[in-house]
Amino acid sequence: MATSTLWEAERVPAPFDRVARFAFDWLPLLIVALLWSFVSGAIVPEAILPAPLAVGAKMWELIVTGTVLPHLFISLVRVFLGLALSVVVGVALGVGMAQSDRLEDFFDILLALTYPIPKTALVPLAILWLNVGTKTAVLIVFLACLLPIILNANNAAEDVDQNLLWSAKMMGTDGRRLLWKVVFPATIPEIMTGVRQAMPIAFIALVSAELIASNQGIGYLILTSGQLGNYPTMFANIVIISAVAFAAVRGFEELRERVIVWT
Amino acid sequence: MDVMGYRADRESLVDALKSVYSLVAILVLWEVVGQLGLVHHYFLPPLSEVIDRFVVLTVSGQMLNAAVLTLQRAFIGLAIAAVFGVIVGILCARNAFVEWFFDPLIKIGYPVPIISLIPVFMLWFGIGDISKIIMVAVGTFWPVAVNARNSTRQVDKNLVWSARMMGTSDRRLLWRVILPAASPGILTGIQIAMPLSLIITFVFEMVAGGGGLGALEIAGVRSFRSEQVYAAIIAIMLIGIALDRLLRYARERLLAWT
Repeated sequence: MATSTLWEAERVPAPFDRVARFAFDWLPLLIVALLWSFVSGAIVPEAILPAPLAVGAKMWELIVTGTVLPHLFISLVRVFLGLALSVVVGVALGVGMAQSDRLEDFFDILLALTYPIPKTALVPLAILWLNVGTKTAVLIVFLACLLPIILNANNAAEDVDQNLLWSAKMMGTDGRRLLWKVVFPATIPEIMTGVRQAMPIAFIALVSAELIASNQGIGYLILTSGQLGNYPTMFANIVIISAVAFAAVRGFEELRERVIVWT
Repeated sequence: MDVMGYRADRESLVDALKSVYSLVAILVLWEVVGQLGLVHHYFLPPLSEVIDRFVVLTVSGQMLNAAVLTLQRAFIGLAIAAVFGVIVGILCARNAFVEWFFDPLIKIGYPVPIISLIPVFMLWFGIGDISKIIMVAVGTFWPVAVNARNSTRQVDKNLVWSARMMGTSDRRLLWRVILPAASPGILTGIQIAMPLSLIITFVFEMVAGGGGLGALEIAGVRSFRSEQVYAAIIAIMLIGIALDRLLRYARERLLAWT
């Protein structure tokens, strides 16, 4: 009996300790939120800076009534399509340029020239070609993510362990199998690093395209609710897209750790 | 592949030709397609017309004006972010209280797609220069602060201990040991922040106007003058390449000892 209580006494505090630690770590956020609630209404008009609780309530309302969901869905589709497209094209180009001198000679200068252009500067061009809407947003996300993925894929493909290649060749692996079975698997970790780098860029590109050239999506909602003076909605949508971007990046990091078990 | 800069060892003419033929081919193709009218003029005006427009805008001073406006906004904002970001970043790594306060804020603030705050800044500070500059400063603060923090944390402990043991004061420690040792990481942060400063400025100018290259571009779209859009993008490309070179050069000069 006595040992059991002792054991309990030793054991119980551990989770509390963790909770306390967590609360202590995140206390600054609470302080900022309290400061924000105090400033809102007292110093700055509530219209210009809605209190965090008001924004939270608005968020809840937008989600429960479902008004935000179609826009959120279209935004996610755009970011996913753009990113997926850039992975396919970027990996093909990056690995291809490492394998073939002709491809490298062709694309080298084009990439060197387009690399320093902030891709959101291309939104007006995308409007010219594709008009306002999903295609424009997908194109901008695609272009913005393409270069980091090409760079990582290319570096990885050029750094594939020569011993691996020689061993595979010695065992009679032919060109295509070599590419699929040796080169690609060896580049996957770095390709995923490239995708991880590209994800925040993808969301910036998405919101830029939606602010300038869209009549759907979260970016569009943020802009129009701001223009209509519907500020709680504007802030709520900003929180929503930020949370989604954060969750996407964290989710991808988790996925990466599970997929890349061999490194 | 060599996206990062010129290859220094390009000696033979053949190699040089190999590396630019694709660009020449595409430019020629662009002109031919435009002249033959294979693609509607509005989508792809011939290269010569784009260059013509570029020259007209440059000679009239419009392009230069726009570029100066954009660069001013981006650079003032970036400079403010660099100062605050480095201070907060170093303090985060050196002071437990600052770390406790700012770490969760950085965790939450860094992933916010900063562009989504443009309507907020329009509401708070209007659509003028001040608003754009503050927006750039807030947006580029995060990468600078995070990189300054991480690189200060990684400063070799032995260096700090040795300096302390030799009686270095706190101030001298900061200026003589920590800042130099952390400077490569700090410069990396600024290198990441620089394109971001331009991105924020362009998009803000496109959404809210007020001159600048972004506004010039979007005006081209609205008045159906596609040559102007292309001409502005060429200017943006040249600026981007120049800034990229400049940062690389600064890095080589400033960090010659690494």
